Amino acid sequence: MSTVATSQIELRIPRKPEFVKLARCTAWTLAAQLDFVVSQADDIRLAVGEACTNAVEHVPAQVSEDIIVRFSVGPEKLVVEVLDNGPGFDVHRAGECDCRETGGLGLVIIRSIMDEVEVICDPNTGTCVRMTKFRNRQ
Amino acid sequence: MGNSLQISSRREGNDSAVLSLQGEVDVSNSELVRNEANSLLADDIKRLVVDLSATEYLDSAGLGVLVGLLKRVSESDLTLIIAGARPQVRRVFEITKLNRVFTMRDDVASALREVAR
Repeated sequence: MSTVATSQIELRIPRKPEFVKLARCTAWTLAAQLDFVVSQADDIRLAVGEACTNAVEHVPAQVSEDIIVRFSVGPEKLVVEVLDNGPGFDVHRAGECDCRETGGLGLVIIRSIMDEVEVICDPNTGTCVRMTKFRNRQ
Repeated sequence: MGNSLQISSRREGNDSAVLSLQGEVDVSNSELVRNEANSLLADDIKRLVVDLSATEYLDSAGLGVLVGLLKRVSESDLTLIIAGARPQVRRVFEITKLNRVFTMRDDVASALREVAR
């Protein structure tokens, strides 16, 4: 796989629980191909799974859009964005907890295992959880 | 998508039960785990061991079920022990600091010895 320029891979899955596994397995396979060690690939899998789970569980039922998982592979890092068109997080409460009332575990896990995490909420377009793992860090 | 979780349970002695989760516990099947655990608790047991030795993946949805289970057994003066979690699964407990909340043992045999005391 080329590491000279940033390459993008995009996965669109139905916003249903049974498809979360597809997203996280894709993440693990890609991470392994990029020579992340197994524990790092496991972390990336878990983070992607948590972000997708959040989108599945906490976007209102009437919202029917899919979840988009976008992988951006650069020479130094892997960036994964999980996008949905839900109402997003309460950014004023999003310190240590996931304020879509998950009990806080999902976002706590993501922040603990990824190198950088951003949660971007736009009431018009939805929520993007952007997670970065650097390739040269153990 | 195939079902990637097998749930089984067995009684141990008069008042203990072991709930075994083989495969991946996530948002697609955590409700099944909750239902099976609740069925066991309704069956007049005093002690429940959740066997994670064959659990390959556990996410926040699965953790949420276990937290709910812990609340329920605590309210009923029952005992809950998590047994055999593999490193990757144990790591999820540690990240969330829930390893400080749950009683965790290396294997089912150790857990059963503990509940027999």
